[in-house]
Amino acid sequence: MLFKKLLRTIWHYKAQFISMIIMVLLGVGVFVGFQGEWKSIEQDTFSFYKSTGFADYRLVSEAGYSKEDMDKIASIDGVDKISRYISVKTNESKENDVIAVTVTTNFDVSSFVVTSGEQYDDSSLDAIWVNDQYASKNNYKLNDEMTLKYGAVSLKGTIKGLIKSSEYLICTPGENQMMPDFNTYGYVYISPEKYKTDLGGFEFYPEIHVISKLSKKEFSDSANEKLGKTNLILTKNEITSYFEAQGEASEGKTMASILPVVFLGIAVLIMATTMQRLTINEKTQIGTLKALGFRDARIVRHYTLFGLFIGVIGSLLGVGFGYFIAWFIFNPGGSMGTYFDLPSWAIHMPWWTFLVVFGVVVFMTLISYISAKNMLKGTAADALKPYTPKAMKRLKIEDSKGWRRLKFATKWNLRDLFRHKARSFMTLFGVFGCTVLLVASFLMMDSMIGFVNKFYYGSMNYASQISLKDETTKEKALEIVSYYDADYSASTNVSLNEEAIAMDIYNISHDYVRFLDKEMAYLKLSDDGVYIGQRLMESNNLKIGETFKVSVFGSDTTYTLKLAGQLRTLTKGVVMSQKYADEIGITYKINQVFTSKEKDTINKDTKYSDFISTVKSRNDIIKSFDSFMQVMYVMIGALIVLSIILGIVVLYNLGTMSYFERYRELSTLKVVGFKDKKIGKLLISQNMWLTVAGYLIGVPAGIGITFVLMKALASEYEMKLIFGWMTVVIPLILILGVSLFVSYLVARKNKKIDMVEALKVPE
Amino acid sequence: MSLIEFKNVSRIYKVGDHEQKALDNVNLNIEESKFIVILGPSGAGKSTLLNLLGGLDSPTNGQILVEGKDISKLDNNSLADYRASTVGFVFQSYNLIPTLTVFENVSLVKEIVKNPLSVNEMLNEVGLEDHKDKFPSELSGGEQQRVSIARALAKNPKILLCDEPTGALDSETGALVLKVLLSMARNYRKTIIIVTHNQNIAKMADTIIRVKSGHIKEVINQDNPLSVDEVDW
Repeated sequence: MLFKKLLRTIWHYKAQFISMIIMVLLGVGVFVGFQGEWKSIEQDTFSFYKSTGFADYRLVSEAGYSKEDMDKIASIDGVDKISRYISVKTNESKENDVIAVTVTTNFDVSSFVVTSGEQYDDSSLDAIWVNDQYASKNNYKLNDEMTLKYGAVSLKGTIKGLIKSSEYLICTPGENQMMPDFNTYGYVYISPEKYKTDLGGFEFYPEIHVISKLSKKEFSDSANEKLGKTNLILTKNEITSYFEAQGEASEGKTMASILPVVFLGIAVLIMATTMQRLTINEKTQIGTLKALGFRDARIVRHYTLFGLFIGVIGSLLGVGFGYFIAWFIFNPGGSMGTYFDLPSWAIHMPWWTFLVVFGVVVFMTLISYISAKNMLKGTAADALKPYTPKAMKRLKIEDSKGWRRLKFATKWNLRDLFRHKARSFMTLFGVFGCTVLLVASFLMMDSMIGFVNKFYYGSMNYASQISLKDETTKEKALEIVSYYDADYSASTNVSLNEEAIAMDIYNISHDYVRFLDKEMAYLKLSDDGVYIGQRLMESNNLKIGETFKVSVFGSDTTYTLKLAGQLRTLTKGVVMSQKYADEIGITYKINQVFTSKEKDTINKDTKYSDFISTVKSRNDIIKSFDSFMQVMYVMIGALIVLSIILGIVVLYNLGTMSYFERYRELSTLKVVGFKDKKIGKLLISQNMWLTVAGYLIGVPAGIGITFVLMKALASEYEMKLIFGWMTVVIPLILILGVSLFVSYLVARKNKKIDMVEALKVPE
Repeated sequence: MSLIEFKNVSRIYKVGDHEQKALDNVNLNIEESKFIVILGPSGAGKSTLLNLLGGLDSPTNGQILVEGKDISKLDNNSLADYRASTVGFVFQSYNLIPTLTVFENVSLVKEIVKNPLSVNEMLNEVGLEDHKDKFPSELSGGEQQRVSIARALAKNPKILLCDEPTGALDSETGALVLKVLLSMARNYRKTIIIVTHNQNIAKMADTIIRVKSGHIKEVINQDNPLSVDEVDW
């Protein structure tokens, strides 16, 4: 019988029940979804690395490694698998796209998975295994012929398989291109036999890839000792396809640990208040059951089922919704799919996520239990009495001079806010939470757009970037610089405290390349020191004015550099002027040229084409940045939309609660002669006060949370919070809009007040 | 012309498939400045009659003319104006706003009426001038009802409608409240209509209207009504 009552009560309070289920659904959904996003990146990339033998260490040498060198490294205790490896950029004959031709001498290391076609054959002299995404974008099919050119060498073969390799998980040609573009850049694998044959019996492997559990120091010491020289040894943490993917996962983890937790917190607290109020509304019925002779335990059990019901249904739907959110962010057809080239896009969830969801159900059940218990306090007669809110007491502000001048509506609303503190606080908290989420979302978006805009549109002040071939002499390079009236740079890798970092030496006379200082202003490189980013400064505990040493790989040369300033940068590296480099005697090779000439003009001009490896237009790079921003837009956009929905549900729920709690007062006003519009204004104005107050405290909190978030994300981006007017104005418009809309919906109920029925209720 | 005229007024409530006639073809005239008591058992239709007259409810059929104007045809806003300007209500359960003080509860009428009576004067009349800064929860039942009377009269309405105004009070307090109510109604020349079960109150009325099963059973005009003090409570 009580079960029937349970179902009918749920039906009676359907609006509240639905809103509570929606709140659990949203809170749990956002929480689960964001946890699923980072866990799926972590898990799916991990599986991919494992199945393709992603190397832990890479020895790099411009002179190349022989089989003997590899055998020496293989003899180190703790080296599990080893391979010689090369990835060289070639030009595809049809479209002149850049294709990285890859060879690994041991298929257990740095290899690939076949998505269609034939498996790998290490002795094939004809087969080419092509990245499936590049093949799809460029209409290559299995058994098609493909020709790749590297200088005078021509590699021809038949496409035998379509593949994915974790080496190219993020398939970008260079560090200043954030997103892959498979229309113009891809990769292929060929067998070592084909490589050797096509090169006329010659083989050159500039890298040794190693799978080992040794620490970097253990491995470096052993490798340097075995080979008898200092080697450039890169850990997987220095490889884009690893650190960017793990950075994305850790970025997701950081975001998931703050914003969705706020989201879940708001939903659960407001739901708890609603649950408690709902039980209060049932007080007379609880009393009736008690008076009839039902035992307290049975009544409590009955009312506890309400919380359990909402918790279970909401959580189940929430988990489903969470999986949808995770899929929405992390799926091959979405924006993440334009970033990662993964063979599996399965959604994974951290185990403790389900524990949290279980906790939500327990919490909801507990709230129902406690609320019902409270209603049963005292005798059956006590329980039968309808719930009355606390008697009104004078507020302290009533002693102030201005109080008497306040309008009736203001006094009424103010006293009501204090009389129903829990409800008022929850409304305030709901608006506060939504403001925090909205401000944080917009601020993050503004900061990222601001930073990347300044970095791309401002710092890259050139039209084209020309990469010179390795064999280009300094004299020839300077000739090219002069011919294109360009700025130039020389990039090489050095070691700073065992970490491989880039060392970029610039000669800038046209301002084609600019640098951002700590305050996001453009700075001119001084000639009395070097510049590094915040991450390197912090990880090496460096301060401006101090000196530090970097060592050159493959030699005993070290340079002592003076730190002249801090930069905001996307890469980890040292930047200096050519004058400073010359002063301290650094030897370098010019390999990048920056010019205002357009890419097409340079490509058409054959004068120096033998010395140019690639030409990239600034627009190509910016296009990839737009794709990168898409990923951010999707995540932040989802958060904004869900915050607004949460705001609507929270405010509607609390607004309705407030309306029902004041039903009698509103009826009295109506009987006395107040019009619906005037009563509606009363209700709306109270909501608007709370909205404005919630917004005002939400803005600094939102900024604070974003600051914490940015700090936590500092290992990924070196960004500064950028406040645009939109950061605070758009959330204000959205919050006010949501509040007005919801208040209007609630105020409309006035028209349906049954004055006769309402006033029958005894006080 | 009568102040109030009920012409063939019916009020039918639908309860599921069943129709319940709360008032059935009622005809009634009430003169100005009279004290009317409507008597009848529970469910007779007396509160329905009062609610229709107060503009809280609308008849299913018929006309209700107040000062010659048919209020049964008014829209929501016009009904609100009517309630604000023409009628004042006193309920059994007082219906004061718990978050407003005594003074503010009475001042409430200033929000909707152009020429209200003085709030202080009303509070003096009901003997609550010393309690004006208290909240309703700090007053006794009788005191709360007196605030309710002050609020109803402060609008300076033509008609005062009272639904069991002493129903929640003990007889002594009830008598005191009635005394205040009647003396104020007479001082300010109001038509006062009280719905009650209490036969004693009827002894004070100019006119007694007996209602039973939705019909007016009889209308008795009393030439010499008793005063509050003359009634044996």
